[in-house]
Order: sequence, then C-alpha cells, then structure tokens
Amino acid sequence: MSGKSNVKFFYIGIAIALLLAILAPFLASSDPDGLESAAGEIVEESKMSQIEATEPVVSSPMPDYSIEGLGKGGEVAAIAVGTLAVLAISLGLGKVFSKKI
Amino acid sequence: MHIPDSFMPLSQAVIYWIIALPFIITSMKWAKNELDEMKVPVLAALAAGIFAIQAMNIPIGMGTSGHMVGAALVAIVFGSPWAGVLVLTLVLIVQGFAFGDGGVTTMGANILNMGVISGFIGYYTYVALRKSVGTSIASFGGAWLGLFISAIVCAVEMWIAGTFPLVPGLVAMGTYHLIIGFIGEGLITSIVIMAIAKSRPDLLEDNFTARPEKNKKETHA
Repeated sequence: MSGKSNVKFFYIGIAIALLLAILAPFLASSDPDGLESAAGEIVEESKMSQIEATEPVVSSPMPDYSIEGLGKGGEVAAIAVGTLAVLAISLGLGKVFSKKI
Repeated sequence: MHIPDSFMPLSQAVIYWIIALPFIITSMKWAKNELDEMKVPVLAALAAGIFAIQAMNIPIGMGTSGHMVGAALVAIVFGSPWAGVLVLTLVLIVQGFAFGDGGVTTMGANILNMGVISGFIGYYTYVALRKSVGTSIASFGGAWLGLFISAIVCAVEMWIAGTFPLVPGLVAMGTYHLIIGFIGEGLITSIVIMAIAKSRPDLLEDNFTARPEKNKKETHA
C-alpha cells in the first residue's frame, strides 16, 4: 500500500462528494424525512404546532442547506461549503492525531 | 433521523449528551492510536462524502424521504465502529451548527443514534455475517440493520420525551426506516464497499486495519 494511492482515493472521494453537492439540490426529495413524517402523522395537532413554533436553540448561518435569496445555486454552495468544512475538520483532526510519530 | 431541539426536553437532551460523551472521547482515542498519514486521507474523503450524500434525500414513498447515515460504511472500511462514531460526530457537529439539521441540544442523542448505535450494530452485524454470506451481502445487512435499530431507538427516545406515543411511533419510524435502510443505507453501503474491494482491496480488512500498529515492535515478512 503506497501513500500515493491513498492520495488518489482522497481526490476521487472529494470529487464524488462535490459532485453530490452539485446534484443534491436538484435530485433530493423535498418530502419530509422519516422522523418528521412520523411526527406529522402521530403527534396531535396542538402539540405539533407548539413544536413547529419553537426556534432552534442555536440559529444556523445556512438553515436547511440553503443561502437566503440564492435559490438552487445557494443550495449547491451551502452543501459544498459543508462538504469542504467536514473535509477540513477531518484533515485537521487527522493532522493533530497523527503527529505523534 | 436528526432530532431537532424542539422534539426533546432539555433535561433529557443533556442526559443523551452525557451518555454520548464517553463514546465521542473513545473515538478520539481510537483516532489517536490508529490514524496515520495513510489513513487520514481515507477518513477525510469518507467524511466529506457522507456529509454530501446525507444532503441527498431519497424519496421512499408515502410522502417521506430518507438519507444515508454512513457510520456502518466507515466502520467497515476501518475495521472499527469507533471510526464510524468519529466521522458521524464530525458530520453531525457541522450539520447542527452550520445548517440547523438536528438540534444542538439534541446533538448528543443524534450522535448516539446515528454514530454509536448504527455504527456498532452495522459493523458487528457485518462481522458476524461476512464469512457465511460474503462481503457484499454482509455489508448490506449490517448497514440496513444498523439504520433500522437506530430508528427504533429514536422512536423510544421520542416516547420518553413525551413527543411520540409509543406504539404508533415505533410503527411509523420502523416502517419508514425499514425502507430507508434498504435503499439509502444497505444498497449504497454495499455498492461503495464492493467498489473499494474491487479497486483498493488493501483498504478493507486485513491489510488496512489489521496492520501491525506502528508502535508495536513486531517483525513481519
């Protein structure tokens, strides 16, 4: 196993991830996910409206993987930013942890 | 399956954080012992890919959609469920803070469900099955079961939280995630594992994960 081939794996992985980021806003279903669907069906209405009225504890800069006013392009950008953020954090963490050699 | 803040009282959300923390810390210790310059690029690429694929909700009928979780996939590639816990923790932190996907108070519960439960069940089911049914079916079965069980646990948590009634919650979450687990988790995990097995067999199992640790003084031919 050579280090070079893992670098190749790395670049192919990033390419696939960014391709998914570009495609996701166009292909992803807008139906609610399993947990939200279940809530919609089985939680009584008064409680559901109470849940829906509650704001998240921390307000996020790009809620629902979108950037306000930028439409689909904003969604692509948001997911790409998130993908690169996860990539940077994993690399950073890996760098810190594998420094002990 | 990302639980928003509003679905759980703060007191209970804190308890799930307390349960999740030792798992998160152990996954960091795993990283410290196992990660080297060969494994870091693979871990980072998988983490980025899982973040992106989680943004792609697949319609499963009944007006519902679902997405892959990915903890089992990472655990299988690295031969350790701790790798799955680590990657899902990173992904859920970014999702929760930057995108409002899953609450910040409920992040402990989400890490527990999607990282720990789906990772451990997925990985050990894969390990138990792989000799008798082969890598592709074992990875499908492990990933599917891991997702299904974590959805069942999520339904129980929602019942304890007073948000869902018990039986309808179990039925709804179980039914949806049975299907999500098939397509979103089982099939994709199996395809990715088989693609890696074909192109980079050394990344799976023996060569990649069971390599002698570099601090061990074993000699090997």
